[in-house]
Amino acid sequence: MAAIPMATATPTDSMSRVWSMSSLKSSLPSAVTCRLPSPSSRRPVLVSSPSPRLPSFSGLSPVNPLISTGLPGWQSFEDGFKIIDGGGRVYAMRHGRRVPKLNRPPDQRKALLRGLTTQLLKHGRIKTTRARASAMRKFVDKMITLAKDGSLHKRRQALGYIYEKQIVHALFAEVPDRYGERNGGYTRIIRTLPRRGDNAPMAYIELV
Amino acid sequence: MSVNNRDPLVVGGVIGDVLERFTRSIDLRVTYGQREVTNGLDIRPSQIINKPRVEIGGEDLRNFYTLVMVDPDVPSPSNPHLREYLHWLVTDIPATTGTNFGNEIVSYESPRPTSGIHRLVLVLFRQLGRQTVYEPGWRPQFNTREFAALYNLGLPVAAVYFNCQRDNGCGGRRT
Repeated sequence: MAAIPMATATPTDSMSRVWSMSSLKSSLPSAVTCRLPSPSSRRPVLVSSPSPRLPSFSGLSPVNPLISTGLPGWQSFEDGFKIIDGGGRVYAMRHGRRVPKLNRPPDQRKALLRGLTTQLLKHGRIKTTRARASAMRKFVDKMITLAKDGSLHKRRQALGYIYEKQIVHALFAEVPDRYGERNGGYTRIIRTLPRRGDNAPMAYIELV
Repeated sequence: MSVNNRDPLVVGGVIGDVLERFTRSIDLRVTYGQREVTNGLDIRPSQIINKPRVEIGGEDLRNFYTLVMVDPDVPSPSNPHLREYLHWLVTDIPATTGTNFGNEIVSYESPRPTSGIHRLVLVLFRQLGRQTVYEPGWRPQFNTREFAALYNLGLPVAAVYFNCQRDNGCGGRRT
């Protein structure tokens, strides 16, 4: 006798006391026997279906990698930032950019360089990291050039940059004697041993 | 070996500020405690309170040498108007020995830099004979070149320098 396809799995065949596979299989719900979907190594196809029905505006925000809209070719983080507005191109690489960022936002960067040039002009020789030393050369030279000119306008410009006014006045007093003949290159950088705490490459920068 | 442009003495500005170019001919080993001084080494004032152990090379015990220790960055590297300050002067050092065998005519004064990073230079000159070098009248405003010319010491035979800055920060007020 064939097994009755019901939820019960009791053997209806009175002749045998053993379970038969066919009776078990037929009595179980059909969904269990289907193959389970494979783990999320591939994008689930189910998610992409709502997107044609609900077009959301994502024009100016970077594409969030957590929200997978199923866009093809989304490989790396930088690809989400290709925005063209009024001619300013933003590239993924650093080609040709010469301003050292020093791992700081612009206001902090300016303050750091102002502080470093103030201290160098005050002490004559300081020890700092190589990146900061080579970034501050330009600004130290600029201050010494202002002092070489010596006019009131240049003095006020220097006062707006250097944090301590005695240093500006001392600079304007001694620079004509000290750097009168030298054209540029008022600093010297000497590389030295790395810092113990974080192995940062260090350098002395001094006024020549 | 002669001093080329990449030599630490040239890079550090010692040749130019303190000395002329010279040819190194004698070994000079300066040791503060356990640390041997190499060019451009950073040492704290607390480590150089006592005089170092200096050993010089050479072969003939009849040659005598003079050791001078100066600081060209007094009072501050940005404004060195007291250049240079004489810290130590030992004469009549026989070759292959050390400063213990010499005549210390200016006693060792431990450097205490107040502002900035100071270079401290140790220079070795060869004397023509014994007891030909005398002490200067005072320590600041010392000029190594004039001193060498005055006592016919000629060019140096060895030199080493190291850096020293004050132990604790900028010394109180920032301005």
